[in-house]
Amino acid sequence: MTTPLLEMRNIRAGYGIIDVLHGVDLVLEPGSVLALLGPNGAGKSTTLAVASGQIQPSGGQLLIAGREVNGAKPDALARAGVCLVPEGRGVFPNLTVAENIRMMTFSGTSYGEVADKAYELFPRLGERRRQLAGTLSGGEQQMLAMARAMATDPALLMLDELSMGLAPIIVEELYSQVAKLAEGGLSILIVEQFAQTVLGVADRAAIMLHGRITRTGPPSEIAEELTAAYLGIDSGGH
Amino acid sequence: MKRFQIRTSLLVALGAALASLTILVWRYGADTEVSSEKIVVATVVGLTIGALYSLSATGLVVVYTTTGTFNFAHGGIGVFSAFVYWEIVENRTGPELPQWLGLLLVVLVVAPALGVAIDVILMRRLRDAPLVVQLMVTVGLMVFLLTLTGQIWQADKIRGVSFFWEGQGFSIGEQKVAWHRFANLVIAAIIAVFLRILLFRTRMGVAMRAVVDNRDLTALNGARPGALSAFAWALGSSLAALAGILVAPEVEFNPTNLNSLMLIVAISAAAFGQIRSLPLTVVGGLLIGLLESYNREWIDLGADFPFAGRAVAPIVLFLVVLALPQARLSVGRVSNNLRPIERTTHVWEGAVGAVFIIFMGWAIARGALHFLVWDPGEWSSVSLNKGISAMVLALIALSLVPLTGWAGQVNFAPLAFAGFGAFLFLRLGLWFGVPDTGGTGNLVWLPVIGLLCAPLGALLAVFAARLSGLYLALLSLAFALITSNVLFPHPQVFPRVHTFPSPYLDVGLFRIDFDSRFSFFMLLMTMFALGMFCLVVLRRSRYGRRWVAMQDSQAAAATVGVNVIWTKIVVYATSSAMAGMAGVLWATSKSTVDFRDFDLLNGLTIVLLMAAAGMSFPVAGLFLSFQFVFEGLAERLEQTGNVGFLVWLLKDFLAKFGPGMLAIGMVVNQRGAIFEMGKGFAPLLPWRDDARAELAAERATKREAEIGGLGLTEPFTSEAVVGLDSALGIVDDVTPGAGYRHGVARPMESTHD
Repeated sequence: MTTPLLEMRNIRAGYGIIDVLHGVDLVLEPGSVLALLGPNGAGKSTTLAVASGQIQPSGGQLLIAGREVNGAKPDALARAGVCLVPEGRGVFPNLTVAENIRMMTFSGTSYGEVADKAYELFPRLGERRRQLAGTLSGGEQQMLAMARAMATDPALLMLDELSMGLAPIIVEELYSQVAKLAEGGLSILIVEQFAQTVLGVADRAAIMLHGRITRTGPPSEIAEELTAAYLGIDSGGH
Repeated sequence: MKRFQIRTSLLVALGAALASLTILVWRYGADTEVSSEKIVVATVVGLTIGALYSLSATGLVVVYTTTGTFNFAHGGIGVFSAFVYWEIVENRTGPELPQWLGLLLVVLVVAPALGVAIDVILMRRLRDAPLVVQLMVTVGLMVFLLTLTGQIWQADKIRGVSFFWEGQGFSIGEQKVAWHRFANLVIAAIIAVFLRILLFRTRMGVAMRAVVDNRDLTALNGARPGALSAFAWALGSSLAALAGILVAPEVEFNPTNLNSLMLIVAISAAAFGQIRSLPLTVVGGLLIGLLESYNREWIDLGADFPFAGRAVAPIVLFLVVLALPQARLSVGRVSNNLRPIERTTHVWEGAVGAVFIIFMGWAIARGALHFLVWDPGEWSSVSLNKGISAMVLALIALSLVPLTGWAGQVNFAPLAFAGFGAFLFLRLGLWFGVPDTGGTGNLVWLPVIGLLCAPLGALLAVFAARLSGLYLALLSLAFALITSNVLFPHPQVFPRVHTFPSPYLDVGLFRIDFDSRFSFFMLLMTMFALGMFCLVVLRRSRYGRRWVAMQDSQAAAATVGVNVIWTKIVVYATSSAMAGMAGVLWATSKSTVDFRDFDLLNGLTIVLLMAAAGMSFPVAGLFLSFQFVFEGLAERLEQTGNVGFLVWLLKDFLAKFGPGMLAIGMVVNQRGAIFEMGKGFAPLLPWRDDARAELAAERATKREAEIGGLGLTEPFTSEAVVGLDSALGIVDDVTPGAGYRHGVARPMESTHD
């Protein structure tokens, strides 16, 4: 069996004295796409914050490529190839598009390379390279945020609520890019509240409720159980 | 659109500056002839000084754009660095160093180290702090650095810093240009270009700006936000030091002087560039340099306005802030303030508190509580004078409670209003002398003067209506500087010689005379208690609620029907009336009134102490007495012969460094001392069941967290229970009795199904 790219063993974490994750176990195999689904407040974003080093777990083990990285800083993980596109628009609103792209070069890819790739994938960004990112439309901002994932060749990509607040046609476009990345063999962890789009891309899916993973399985099986999960009925099974 | 707005503001500011200049030249033009030669000279001088201003301002802009902190300590850092430079180069402490080496040592080693220390010790803890706290901490740092510089390099010695290439120069036609002046221009240009390239063309510079936009995302991109902020502070401090050392030879070399030149001009020039644009900031610096130079050459306001020259930069600041395009109401964002969610004081509690304060004042001054103040017996006139000064400041501080504490309008100019009140009182006394109180001091005038001061506050409110946050603070700063440099020094306002004594202790109210220090002290105590009580009532009124709502969110307040502009006008007018009346009592308490009493630094000290105590609590005004208490205690110790460390600690350390240190202390306690003290004190009051319940709840939360740490969160297994029991050393019903031994966690079957 190959070493999982990302593994969480009984991870506990929270904000101050409030615990949000009560023992999360999660495995992402290399080259696979895992969709993490669940209602508001289930702890999905916190899981990503732990995996990217933004929140330190109070218990459990966080392993990346088999190595324990508890306590690693987010910038160190980012330079090591862990790429999180955070919830909302992951862009710097007061920097221009080109400057945003320059910010993507800390993990080792050269500016020219990142810029060429980003503008090729999303030509609209090329047209607006001198514009402040904060003045782009929601979809364009999300494209810019995705450009980091697409152009910097990360080892692990994590996407948080990619579809939030975007028109369906744009969501479709973004997910077609995600599918391309997945075909290229990138390991991806996707967090979404609305499941239909993401289940088409994922190899496996997990349901998260009240700070725990309650069910893991193939997307087709998970799809059936989602409604129950969203209504707050724990379908059992671990 | 954006570019157009920048140009509009620029044009408005330029137009206003030119218009005022034209009026000044036309009205007050000096007899000096206007020749092309003189124009060249004035322009060269203006540009070279302006280059230094630009240099100082770019440092301020760099720190703001890369850390999001508006650094009021910028000038303080420059002053401290300039004195260190003086020490090693001019005073030759240690090995003899050439000027350039001393410059490099200070600019590249001392100043960056200071900057990094400021970031690591203070600024990192303020990342999510509200603006008022950030501003107060940097203002506190400024006061601290100036006091430190003044203490290390005492003012009793005349010092000077010599120019680089002293006396050498070159000629352009007939005109001689000194090398050091030419160097200023070159250095400023090089630094501006260097900064522009660093911030916009290098990855590091872009990342430094990115930190301000979104710190977490910067880290997710792989940059190190902590290191970037530290570098930004180091760079900003280096620029402050460089500007400080180059400005030092141009002025009278003392901390206050150098700071006002460095900081005020830098703020004005930076505001010209909207604290963002480096090219516009440089233009702003040069413009101020030119305006000052032309002003010196051709405008003579006469002996009546001796310090008007210092007001050039504040006037530019005032105009620029008014013309700024982006300082609009921020819609839909709840301001990040830490105003304590305080329980609104009941009216009867306010009344009891007021009576208690009057009683305490009486008891202390009469010597009944000598064990509290180490002053056996009745207060001497010296102690009473200290008490009087303290209470006058407390009364002025009270005016900040509704304005800044409740309505969130940062105001650095409480003394401008107080000064206006003092002036009116003295003038009215002269114009409409009231015979039975020695020609001046009938306190019947007090409310009248309050009413007269209110429109001044309302006027500032009209200017401030569309501003918020930092720009509001800058506007009040400019206002304070203009009043203290232009209006108050005019001999018709506060005469400079002792020909205009204020009615010291010669005040009365109808037929009651307050002709002794004690009765005057008690009058002030009563005034303070009364003011406090009125504020308690006001806070419970419809206006009090509106002010607090406005601070929480102007947009939300507007949507529920609050007229924000009118509410602002009312709160400014109220505050200004209160400060004006306090100013009257200040004037009355002194033998002569001097315009220097109302200068910016004195006003800032009041604001700082209030912020550290807790701006939203009226009783915080009593905090203003701490300096006098320390001094009084030290004097008492000296009288009893107990000289030594304690006296030094009280008098030379705490009394002097106190205001700065207290403000810096807001890093730890952002809600102010009164809030924490009240939290401890309230549960002791018999009728405060709510405070006791809150305390119990808080303790329970802490307990819960402890238990959580012991592992008793879900899943709720018997192992966990046994583990917890053994840790806590208890045996209860949950733990099975058989085979249970204290302290041993026995493995059990899971009760979880």
